[in-house]
Amino acid sequence: MIGALVVVVLVALSALAVYGVVTTVLNRPPDVWTTRAVGVVVALLVVQAAIAAVRVFGGVALPETSTFLIYLVVSVCVLPIATQFATAEPTRWGGAVVAVGAIATAVAVWRLQGLWTAGG
Amino acid sequence: MAEPARATASGPGRVLIAVYGVFALSATARAGVQIATRFDEAPLAYLLSALAGVVYVLATIGLAGRGAGARRLAWGAVVFELVGVLVVGTLTVFDTGDFPDDTVWSIYGRGYGFVPLVLPLVGLWWLRHTRPR
Repeated sequence: MIGALVVVVLVALSALAVYGVVTTVLNRPPDVWTTRAVGVVVALLVVQAAIAAVRVFGGVALPETSTFLIYLVVSVCVLPIATQFATAEPTRWGGAVVAVGAIATAVAVWRLQGLWTAGG
Repeated sequence: MAEPARATASGPGRVLIAVYGVFALSATARAGVQIATRFDEAPLAYLLSALAGVVYVLATIGLAGRGAGARRLAWGAVVFELVGVLVVGTLTVFDTGDFPDDTVWSIYGRGYGFVPLVLPLVGLWWLRHTRPR
């Protein structure tokens, strides 16, 4: 994990969650900007997961390696699934579904950071 | 003439299913790790975590599915979930001795922002709201 990247990821996830809620409040289905934003955020998450995985398998000692790796997988997978589910029925509620996915991902990243600092 | 049931997996129901899905994933994954790595420390709490995870999975499937069977499954799972969070929440408030480790329902789900307490109430309201009439 890299502290600066964690901050960027958390800010991006928060922005995505807010945008999702805004489209719901404005009574609009998820638009192309939602899927683009999700793409950017997921790309950031993949980079973060790759760096963390390389460092874990490279020998960084953590108190709970298995938990850490599960959170790592969760942090990457939740948003694509949530976005798929959100756009399958194009109503105003799609944005809120994306927001739920973004918040859940943010919690996973937060826990990852906690486990990482506990090990470092 | 009776109006048919509205799909529980439509409109705001999709947000509810998303939240249930997140809890299904996190509760089962957490219980899986606990049972696999340190079951001896708190077997009751970890089995309870696993049970809660299964209930969230069943609720998610029931709400996302169509038809009377899925609706019955959702009712059963959400009612069980409400009873579970109330019983475990009350037990943990008055006596923490039997629960040495936190579960998703401990102290009415405080570790999860009390979402586990609110979620079944919203679930019951939604099932009632979409029922056939």
